[in-house]
Amino acid sequence: MTLMTTTATINTTTLLAPPLALYVHFPWCARKCPYCDFNSHELKNTLPERDYIGALVRELDQHLPLIWGRPIRSIFMGGGTPSLFSAAALDQLFGQLRARLTILPSAEITLEANPGTFEQQRFGEYRALGINRLSIGIQSFDPAQLQQLGRIHDHHQAIHAVATARQAGFDNFNLDLMYGLPGQDPNAALADITQAIDLDPPHISHYQLSIEPNTAFAHRPPRLPADVTVSEIETACRTQLQQAGYTHYEISAFARPGRQCAHNLNYWQFGDYLGLGAGAHSKLTQAAQQQISRQWNVKHPREYQQLAGTAQATAGQQTLSWSDCVLEFMMNNLRLHDGFSPTLFTERTGLPLQLLQAQLQQAQSRGLLCVDADRIYPTARGRNFLNDLLTIFT
Amino acid sequence: MSDLSHIRNFSIIAHIDHGKSTLADRFIQLCGGLSAREMSEQVLDSMDLEKERGITIKAQSVSLNYQAKDGRHYLLNMIDTPGHVDFAYEVSRSLAACEGALLVVDASQGVEAQSVANCYTALEQGLEVVPVLNKIDLPQAEPARVIHEIEEIIGIAAQDAISVSAKTGQGVDQLLEILVKRIPAPSGEINTSLQALIIDSWFDNYLGVVSLVRVVNGELKARQKITVMSIGRHYVVDKVGIFTPKKKATESLKAGEVGYVIAGIKEIDGAPVGDTITTTDRPADKSLPGFKSIKPQVFAGLFPIDSEQYEALRDALAKLRLNDAALFYEPETSQALGFGFRCGFLGMLHMEIIQERLEREYNLNLISTAPTVVFELVTSKGETIQIDNPAKMPDPGFYTEIREPVIIAHILVPHDYVGNIISLCMEKRGVQKKLQYLGSQVSISYELPLNEVVMDFYDRLKSVSRGYASLDYEFARFQASDLVKLDILINGDKVDALSCIIHRSVSQTRGRELVEKMKELIPQQMFEVAIQAAIGAKVISRTNVKALRKNVTAKCYGGDITRKRKLLDKQKEGKRRMKQVGKVEIPQDAFLAVLNVGKDPK
Repeated sequence: MTLMTTTATINTTTLLAPPLALYVHFPWCARKCPYCDFNSHELKNTLPERDYIGALVRELDQHLPLIWGRPIRSIFMGGGTPSLFSAAALDQLFGQLRARLTILPSAEITLEANPGTFEQQRFGEYRALGINRLSIGIQSFDPAQLQQLGRIHDHHQAIHAVATARQAGFDNFNLDLMYGLPGQDPNAALADITQAIDLDPPHISHYQLSIEPNTAFAHRPPRLPADVTVSEIETACRTQLQQAGYTHYEISAFARPGRQCAHNLNYWQFGDYLGLGAGAHSKLTQAAQQQISRQWNVKHPREYQQLAGTAQATAGQQTLSWSDCVLEFMMNNLRLHDGFSPTLFTERTGLPLQLLQAQLQQAQSRGLLCVDADRIYPTARGRNFLNDLLTIFT
Repeated sequence: MSDLSHIRNFSIIAHIDHGKSTLADRFIQLCGGLSAREMSEQVLDSMDLEKERGITIKAQSVSLNYQAKDGRHYLLNMIDTPGHVDFAYEVSRSLAACEGALLVVDASQGVEAQSVANCYTALEQGLEVVPVLNKIDLPQAEPARVIHEIEEIIGIAAQDAISVSAKTGQGVDQLLEILVKRIPAPSGEINTSLQALIIDSWFDNYLGVVSLVRVVNGELKARQKITVMSIGRHYVVDKVGIFTPKKKATESLKAGEVGYVIAGIKEIDGAPVGDTITTTDRPADKSLPGFKSIKPQVFAGLFPIDSEQYEALRDALAKLRLNDAALFYEPETSQALGFGFRCGFLGMLHMEIIQERLEREYNLNLISTAPTVVFELVTSKGETIQIDNPAKMPDPGFYTEIREPVIIAHILVPHDYVGNIISLCMEKRGVQKKLQYLGSQVSISYELPLNEVVMDFYDRLKSVSRGYASLDYEFARFQASDLVKLDILINGDKVDALSCIIHRSVSQTRGRELVEKMKELIPQQMFEVAIQAAIGAKVISRTNVKALRKNVTAKCYGGDITRKRKLLDKQKEGKRRMKQVGKVEIPQDAFLAVLNVGKDPK
């Protein structure tokens, strides 16, 4: 790509500060799942709730100048298992957040939760402290699969969790499901989807199980279904979801009208986010300097707790080059079925779209991309071969 | 005639690993050419590649001052020679500058085919050959047996062969004494017109062309105006000197001496190897005999992976060709691989070395096609044409006969492996010419199609004899044979770079193996890839690589995009190493698959 050589002639005064989201990472789990490669650690002793919340607040104080005056449009508490934290602890955190940040009244505030009985008891308190969306890690309704995946809940709890969420006042929630599970056939996958649809959630995330390095599954790989089977599963499940009124709007995300995940959409539309917590990543636009930078924290919880609030808690930092901006914009936006508008590209990267004429043309001629006057979006083939589509922009 | 009785010009003939470089180092040390600190292991092998592989590729020379026991000072010019079959031509060049040669034989391993061939070259050129048994300090040394082998196989008297250990230094001083006694001094006239033979030339980025010369008559001095006779170009000498082995400038090089000359020659073809240098104001009436020209035997296409490196590749080939007359190249265009060069080599090692030098010394990224030999076609009009590229082979209707080059291979091998060698040669369509038991070794001669030899013969020979067999070969003749062109089609497109010419009897098997191998090597793509092997219009084997159903990451970790980027970069890097044929991406290894099929399963 010849981007770097043309930087000098690019008019870069159009880079605007985009919407801002807040991510908070909770790095502990009761047990580590064999497929998981997130920054999560098995909880061996008591949960250091107060210390960790304290560390998060120290980090926020340190980073506040980076986002001064910008309202927060969504908050996502992910992990790990954030629902290991008591409502009291989270309430304390929220008090501190509200004291320092403008959180818009319309903000989507999501908590990732396990469907275990213990967590379900807390749903009401979570709702009361201002959390307005749950993302429940069901993964499957098949008891054998749940065991294989190392989940600690059973299928009864999974079904019950949805009812509890509703009773607690959550009208907005997501169910996480996985497919392409060891030994799974299209019927089994469809049974999971049908069960999920019966529970009528506003949002379903349907992820294909992939074996990631440094996980238990990578050490002892399970027998995954063949490509053909996975393909059949996808076709069957997507049809079913479509018929039930869920729109497939991102590679793995399905939503009822108006129920798309605002927080994830912000990532996918290349918005800004501040990430707090062990190993959390931030992406922030400095409109005044006309630049975008990323930074990420030390990963280990203990180290993070010790260092939070100091410069040493930042493990790395990177200012994006123009070519980084283009690629990362595409990596995110082309996950969306609707892609992006030329205006959004220019606002978020500060670059004119004409710069990409050759690449867009190539992507189009390979049948991977549609380029309309007001919308650029991946074709069905482009969605299936997103990695190939993206390499055009590397 | 001038008195040149204090000069000795000699080479060392030895098989790889028989200790030539160690012995040379020992000579340098004894004659004080380098201080102990400067003695890095094996100073003569100056190319990195030579040090790594432990072989000598290019001629090198070292001038040494030796004070003999009788008190006389001698100037010893040692000219190094390569020891591999591919470089027989270089050997004859080095030997042309010498009056004698030391034949160094490992006292435990005995005579090897390569030394035999080089020794014959020396004898043909009228050199005095002095046999030396090396590694005499090893417990398994068998001097008596090896002396017998030298006499039996090479046919020179070896009863008085000198036993040495280059490693410990044992016997090396006696060897120097014998050397000055037995090897004759050069003859030549200093006070006459200059005649200097260019033994080797190489290109130095700062100095231009540097030539290694043997002055036969006259005197070569700095600031002299010289003429390179065959091309008639004139230059002014900047510097002359000798290698001690450090480059050391001298006043002049006189008749009988060997050294370097630098004359500000900037053009790559300014000092061809084998040419004669004379002075411009008092030219010699005729040039020296020079060297017989040599024909490359093995051809392959070399293509830059990045098409922008095409000019750089042309430039690098020109520089290598300067001191490697056997390297041939001409532009070639392949539908699959783009613009590159069809290159001719002496053999497989030569090809490997050239490719490695291009990649290492010139930082080029290359892709090579499978090597092939030159075939002769008799056209229906009765003309004979040569084909060095299977892609250029005409349709069968166009010719009445195909001929392939046949070599005569001389193999020396211990008794135990004779059976293996014979079955290997038969598998390769060989015809036995001779089988003779000599001491502990057997000398076997076979006529073999060169085409079979370039594939994998040498590797197989080594593996069936546990490394003990040695090989030398020479071209015999072109011979009519039932050959066919095997094409590989990918999604219906003929991939020119994958075509090969093979014997009909193996075409079915080879086609099937090749198609299977390609299936292994070509990664799944966004569409199904059909692979076919065909002879003419007839498909003899087919298979396909199933289409990839998707290539997308299920979860993009909201915050952490760095891991996903690494994955994409990896994928991109992988693609960069592929060549696009039509819509299909083919990895580089696939173009050498022709070479790797039919090998012993590992």
